[in-house]
Amino acid sequence: MTTRWIATGLSHDLPNGAVMAGQWQATELAVWRSATGKLAAWKDRCPHRGMRLSHGFVRGETLSCIYHGWVYGTDGGCKHIPAHPALTPPAAICAEGFACVEANGVLWLAPVGMAEDPPRLVDLRPVRTLSLTCDLATILGVEPALGGSDIIRGSVRIGGQDEEICLLVQPRPNGITFHALCSARADVVQVSRWLEALRRSAEEKVAA
Amino acid sequence: MIRLHDYVLSASCYKVRLMAALLGVRLDLEAVDFHPGRAHKSLAFRQLNPAGTLPVMVVDDLVLTESTAMLVYLARLAGPEWLGPGTPQASAQVQQWLAFSGRLAASLGLARLHDMLLYTGDIEALRRDGHLALRELESALTECRFAGHDWLVGTAPTIADIACFPNVALSQDGGVTLDPYPAIRLWSRRVRSLDRFVEMPGIHRLHELRPAPAEA
Amino acid sequence: MITPQVLNEWYPVAMASQIRAGQRRETQLLGIPVTVKMSDGAVAVHGESDSFPVMERFGHVWTCLGSPAHDLFAVPEADQPGRRLVDVGVVRVKCSPLRAVENFLDIAHFPFVHTDILGAEPHTEVNRYEVQIREGSDEVWATKVTFYQPQAAKSAEGGIVTQYMYRVPAPTVSVLYKTCPVMPDAWDVIGIFVQPLTEELCDVWPWMALFDDVTPEAELIAFQQMIFLQDRSILENQIPRLLPLDPGMEIPTQADLSSIAYRRWLKKRGLTYGAQMVAA
Ligand SMILES: N[C@H](CCC(=O)N[C@@H](CS)C(=O)NCC(=O)O)C(=O)O
Ligand code: FES
Ligand SMILES: [Fe+2]
Repeated sequence: MTTRWIATGLSHDLPNGAVMAGQWQATELAVWRSATGKLAAWKDRCPHRGMRLSHGFVRGETLSCIYHGWVYGTDGGCKHIPAHPALTPPAAICAEGFACVEANGVLWLAPVGMAEDPPRLVDLRPVRTLSLTCDLATILGVEPALGGSDIIRGSVRIGGQDEEICLLVQPRPNGITFHALCSARADVVQVSRWLEALRRSAEEKVAA
Repeated sequence: MIRLHDYVLSASCYKVRLMAALLGVRLDLEAVDFHPGRAHKSLAFRQLNPAGTLPVMVVDDLVLTESTAMLVYLARLAGPEWLGPGTPQASAQVQQWLAFSGRLAASLGLARLHDMLLYTGDIEALRRDGHLALRELESALTECRFAGHDWLVGTAPTIADIACFPNVALSQDGGVTLDPYPAIRLWSRRVRSLDRFVEMPGIHRLHELRPAPAEA
Repeated sequence: MITPQVLNEWYPVAMASQIRAGQRRETQLLGIPVTVKMSDGAVAVHGESDSFPVMERFGHVWTCLGSPAHDLFAVPEADQPGRRLVDVGVVRVKCSPLRAVENFLDIAHFPFVHTDILGAEPHTEVNRYEVQIREGSDEVWATKVTFYQPQAAKSAEGGIVTQYMYRVPAPTVSVLYKTCPVMPDAWDVIGIFVQPLTEELCDVWPWMALFDDVTPEAELIAFQQMIFLQDRSILENQIPRLLPLDPGMEIPTQADLSSIAYRRWLKKRGLTYGAQMVAA
C-alpha cells in the first residue's frame, strides 16, 4: 500500500516547543510544535536570508529564525522583526506552508490541499525511527512508491512470537528512513532490536 | 586553583569547560594557540604534555592529559552524583561511555577538523565511522526511552553524557547530519537545557529558555 | 560565474608567515588548482603551468589569475604605530564567498548568533545608518552604525554601545572599524579575507589590527575564532548556497542597507562568482 502523504517522524520525537527537519519528496521542511502542541510545517528556508528554519527556536506559539530572530506564527506569517521592534511586518512576509497532520503517533506531510487523508493505522503503536543507507528494493524486494510513503505491513517472528510490524518508508537522498510501528502487545525493545538486525543484514547484502 | 590549557574550538576542551560550568567550578583558562600557531606541538608545551594534545589540566602537582579523566576529577571534587549511581553495573557503563567518547573524537571530531581547519584525513571513512558511532548512541538512547530514562546511565545526567555530548552536538561542523537520529536530537536538547549549561561555537544558545523580551 | 572582472581581482591564498616558514600550500582559487610556496627566496603562486602575480599584504599572500585591474586595496591603519596585527588563521566554510562577506556586514544577527558577546536581547534594534559607494576607490561603505554589545572585544569590560564602520574594498573582502574599548578615540580594525575555492566553498582568513598590548595573542585569536565559528554554522545552512542577486528571492529590511548596496555593487560590476542571478 502507498499514500501520497510522507511520514516524516513519530510524534514522540517532536515534543511541544521543539522544531526538527523534515522532508516531502525533495523539499526540505521545518516541522515544529508550539508550546500548546500546535503543529506546523514550512519550507526550511527563512524568507529573510534563507537560513534553515529547522535551526530556529520555539517560544510559545511562535517559531523564531536563529539568524536574525524573525518571529513567525503558526499560520506562517511574520509577526515580529527584532531589528525593527516598532514595525508591523507586512503580511507578504510569510513562510511557505505545507500540510502536517498527526495520526496514530505518526507525523505526516503533504503539500497544502491534499484531498485524501493520511492512512489510518489501527491497532498499532509507534516504536522508533531508523535510517538505512540502502534502498527499499534491496531491503525488502519492494519497488518504491513514487511520490509518497510506502506502507509495509506484515507479521514477523520476534522472540518466538508472531508480531504485527508496520514500516512507513520515507525516501531520503542516500537511502531510506523507516518509521516503525508494532501491535500493542509486542515488546518494543525486541522489535527495535529486530529492526536493527534487519538493517544490518540489508546493508551487508548491499556491501557484498 | 584548577588551570586548564584550553582551545576555544576544541570539543575535548569544551567537555571540561562544560562539566566545570555545570558543577559551578571555576577554571583558570589558559588559551593555547592551537590554530594557526600549533602551539600545542611546541617543545615548551610538550614539556607539559608529551602527547602534544589539548586539553591539559594542572592542579598543583597533578597533570591530566585526558579529558575524560578531568571529568572524573571535577565530579569527584564538586558533584559526585555526576559519577552515576555507583553500582558495579552503572560504574562500568560510565567507563564504557567515556571510552566511547574517544571513538566519537576519532571519527566525528576528526571529520570536523578536516572540514573546518583543513586537517588531512580520509573524510569519507571518518564520516562513515561517525555514523556508526551515532547509530550505537541512538540505539542506546532509544532503549533508555523504552525504559523511561532520559540519560545514558541511570536516571540523572552523568559524566558519560557530558563526555559524549560535544562531538555529537558539533557533528554538523564535519558534514555529519543528526537528522536520522531523533533520540540523539532529544537527548542533546536535554543536555542543552541543563541549568548552568554553556555553549561553544557551533552550538547555538537555546533562546527559548528565556522568554521573548516583550514578555520578560 | 567566472567573468573577466572576477579573474582580474586580487584574492587571498595563504598566510604569508606560514609560507615564509617553509610551508607549501596546495589550494584552489576560482576552481583552479594553485600552489603557494617559497621559490628563490620569494613567495610564489603558480598553477599547473602558469605562475601568477603575488602581493604580500596584511599578513597574507594575494594573487590574481587574470591581469590585475587595479592595485590591492589599502588599509592605512595596518601601518599605524602601536597597532597589533594578528593573523587569525584559515577556516573553511561550505558557502558562497559572497555570503561570507555579506554576513560580516550584518549586525542584526548579533543578539541571536553571538549571544551575550556582540549582542543580547532585548537590545535588538538596528538604527538607521548610512551607506554609500565611495567615488575614486569604488568601495561600499556603511557608516554611523551603532549597536549595544555586552562584550565588544576581548579587552572590553561590560556592555557598551559600539560604533562601527564597514567597507567592502574588494568583492570577497570586508574590513570593519569598531570602537576600541581601551582607546575610545581610536578604531579597532578587523577584516575577513575570503578565498573563493569554488562558488560554494571558501577559505576565510580573519585578520585584526588592534590597539591592545595586554591580551595574549592566543586569546585574541581565540576570541575572533569563537565569533567566526558561530557564524560558520549559519553560513553553512543558508539556502541557496549561492548569494541571490535577484531582488525578490530574499526580503531585506532597512537593517540590510549594506547588504543591498553590496549586492547591487557586485551585480553592476559583473562580480558574480558565488552569486545566483536568476531565481531558481
Ligand atoms: N587526550 C585526549 C586528546 C583530545 C584531542 O584529540 N585533542 C585535540 C584537540 S581537539 C588535540 O590536541 N589534537 C592534537 C593532536 O592530536 O595532535 C583528550 O583529552 O580527550
Ligand atoms: S534569515 Fe531568518 S531572520 Fe534573517
Ligand atoms: Fe556574525
